[in-house]
Amino acid sequence: MASLRTWLAERAPVGEILDFLRHKHVPQHRYSLFYYAGGAALFFFLVQVVTGALLLMYYRPSAGEAYESVQFIMARVPFGWLVRSIHSWSANLMVGVVFVHLFSVLFLKAYRRPRELTWMSGMLLLGLVLAFGFTGYLLPWNQLAFFATRVGTEIPGSIPVIGQPIVHLLRGGPDVTGGTLTRFFGVHVAILPGIVTVLLAVHVLLVQRHGMSTPPSIEGEIRASGRPAKSLPFLPHYVLHDLFGWTLALALLAALSAFYPWELGTKADVFAPAPAGIRPEWYFLWMFQTLKLVPAKVLGLEGEFVAVVAFGLGGLAMFFLPLIDRDTRTSRRVVSWTAAALVLYMIAMTAMVLRGGGQ
Amino acid sequence: MTPRRLFALVCGLVGSVAALSAQSPNPAVSVDQARALFQNDVHQAAGLTCAACHDQTHGDQYAAPARASIPKLCGGCHSNAAYMKAFNPQLRVDQLARYLTSTHGKEINKGELRVAVCSDCHGAHGIYPVKDPRAPVYPTNVANTCAKCHADAARMTPFNKPSTPPADWAASVHARALLVRGDTSAPTCSTCHGSHGAAPPEIENVALVCAQCHVREAELFRKSPKKALFDTLSLPECVTCHSNHHIVEPQDSWLGFAGDVGCAKCHDESIGGADVIKSDRKSLDDLSAAIAAATDRLARAEQAGMIVDDGRAALREASDQRVLARVSMHAFALQPLADGAAKGLKAAQQAQAAADTALAEVQYRRKGLAVATIFIAGFLVTLGLKIRRLNRAD
Amino acid sequence: MTSATGGSSPAASDGRLGRRSFLNWLLGTWAGGVLVAIGFPIVRYMQPPDVAEPATESASGGAAGTLAPNSFRIVPFGAAPAIVVRLATGELRAFSAVCTHLSCTVQYRSDLSQIWCACHNGHYDLNGRNVSGPPPRPLEPYDVSVRNDQIVITRRG
Repeated sequence: MASLRTWLAERAPVGEILDFLRHKHVPQHRYSLFYYAGGAALFFFLVQVVTGALLLMYYRPSAGEAYESVQFIMARVPFGWLVRSIHSWSANLMVGVVFVHLFSVLFLKAYRRPRELTWMSGMLLLGLVLAFGFTGYLLPWNQLAFFATRVGTEIPGSIPVIGQPIVHLLRGGPDVTGGTLTRFFGVHVAILPGIVTVLLAVHVLLVQRHGMSTPPSIEGEIRASGRPAKSLPFLPHYVLHDLFGWTLALALLAALSAFYPWELGTKADVFAPAPAGIRPEWYFLWMFQTLKLVPAKVLGLEGEFVAVVAFGLGGLAMFFLPLIDRDTRTSRRVVSWTAAALVLYMIAMTAMVLRGGGQ
Repeated sequence: MTPRRLFALVCGLVGSVAALSAQSPNPAVSVDQARALFQNDVHQAAGLTCAACHDQTHGDQYAAPARASIPKLCGGCHSNAAYMKAFNPQLRVDQLARYLTSTHGKEINKGELRVAVCSDCHGAHGIYPVKDPRAPVYPTNVANTCAKCHADAARMTPFNKPSTPPADWAASVHARALLVRGDTSAPTCSTCHGSHGAAPPEIENVALVCAQCHVREAELFRKSPKKALFDTLSLPECVTCHSNHHIVEPQDSWLGFAGDVGCAKCHDESIGGADVIKSDRKSLDDLSAAIAAATDRLARAEQAGMIVDDGRAALREASDQRVLARVSMHAFALQPLADGAAKGLKAAQQAQAAADTALAEVQYRRKGLAVATIFIAGFLVTLGLKIRRLNRAD
Repeated sequence: MTSATGGSSPAASDGRLGRRSFLNWLLGTWAGGVLVAIGFPIVRYMQPPDVAEPATESASGGAAGTLAPNSFRIVPFGAAPAIVVRLATGELRAFSAVCTHLSCTVQYRSDLSQIWCACHNGHYDLNGRNVSGPPPRPLEPYDVSVRNDQIVITRRG
């Protein structure tokens, strides 16, 4: 065993990495539970990669066979039901955890200098994760997904000049067809994984480079008390905590798959009228509801277009937040209250749709 | 008012009065209305004008033909094979001949004007081809057309005829098939009574019409002991148990002695074949119970997330067998109903078994989960202890 | 018995070392169990199921040798039945067996050389066309081929 280690150490930077990790410490304070959110998101992503690769062995990305192949996986392939349900549940849990991670960074101000690039790569990753969810949702080619995709890909159409070309690009044509399915499949299993792998590597490496950020309030307390900051060694303590959390998440995925298996629904019928109550996945509901509530005309412009622009500007503002926020007491408070308002807004909009109201 | 206009008014009035007194069920029309309607008429499209049917009286005024002469008027062209070939070689030319065999035709020849003539059913001025859904004689419209007179007690009582048949038919399964489901193969008045040769069907005739679609039932009935019995008693086949107009969905409970339907209409439990009836009834009831149980079980399996295509296929087979078993009842014997019901029962049990397998699989998955959870829980507890030990060591 | 915090006298360290390696062994065993719980489904998943692929486009029509001329067979095609007919000439034809009138399962009448529905006396010719009785539409035809004495029916288009 020792000789193997020396053999490796001569050839690969094993020693350097282990050394670095041995010196790495994670701050301990009343908010440090949120430090696990990023790792949990990474865990769910890894689950997606493994279950996704397994699904690729049996899934067929054509309008004539997609639905039947998913049915085949669920009914005939041994443990196919488990792999598919875990893939669906893990996708949703990943999005949920990514939002927890986003808002915890926002509230705990971990985006401050020198972590601006970490924040920006994270914002890009957020967009890519949502793209993963959007493209993956269509792949079973069932009624709900087909019509939700039709509605979702229609939205960019409200942008003047470039809107329609964008819709055509997304759909692979003027309508949602088998061509859309194949396109989404290619994006979901090749393009997005490629980009995300690179960005994720950058993001994680940057986190290692800068270490975990301590929230301003805690920094203040440490300064005031004069005592050294409490921290936990990464190896082995934090790693074992992380492992604990990941195993718990795995148990949760298995339980959800066994007790609440993911539905397949009915095969998409492109000629049927849209069934009542079509809506996108839960993590898009707040945007969906906003679009529904926006009046038809705002300041003489089409309401939907205004809402799309507002979302775009909001997204841009968030992307450049570390460069905008001057990191004073006031600006930090503004960010916190804005973030709180945004969370409440998102929850309220989502609740509105789920309770069937809001028209 | 010019003399011409006055004359037109008088003609119009006379025409309307004539229409009323002739008891046509259709409302009288003015000359202008008639001209407007004629724009959509198939005769107009064929190049005919008012003069083809009407005597010209004054300039462009025409007289309405006498009611009793209408059949011969229409028959003048429509019975002429050589003439009709020029317009539509496929059209039949025996309508007048058949009409004269009908009750309407016979009565009108006796001078009775209160019966239907051609224009009462086909319209006078806006005549559509039979295949046109706007025609009063298109299958979905036939019952309404007949009902104009035959549902009117005031018109029927002088002839000692009931006015209930149209309403009875409207409440039947055939009406539902034709009007609700749009199945134009379903029988309406003219299917059983004839259209031009409309008459109350003889006892023999009705059953032959039913047998056009309900072949199996008719075959079985004719081979059964009932046929000879019904012939002796001069009872109409089919109609005796199923009624002629108010044909409703037969129930399995008809095969028994309860109420006033099915066997109980004529028999009580003292008859010789009572145990055959009871046995057949039990076969059907058992089959229905098995199908219901299997349907329920399959629904539960599907709700639990399982896919049970083979179970659904077996259930379909069981339902098919039940349909055949119910038809087999018309043999009025133990077989072939018992065999068919047995086949159906087997299929229903297969469906149930498929559902049970799926539900067992659900249980197996939960057990598997329990095992995996035990390992995970054990791992978590041990890991927790290790972490605690580590923390304490610092 | 919980261990004392800090300190490491030989006797105590022996005990703690013993408990520590027991704990590590226990952790390793449970970890092994978890890995098996993950690995076993993955390995089983990759083993091909009895039916190699979903029956969407095609289904089995049974053995070719046991279908005599002028006879038929009903086989499942997805969730609905299909009818495979061998004509008197030996040629094979296949159609959806769901009658287009009220969805009863049709059959082949060798005396008429027609496909027939017993429910309301609907007749179809051997091209699936509705020729007499209530059925409003023809039966959907399938392509038939024979592979290794197995009849395979495939959806068209």
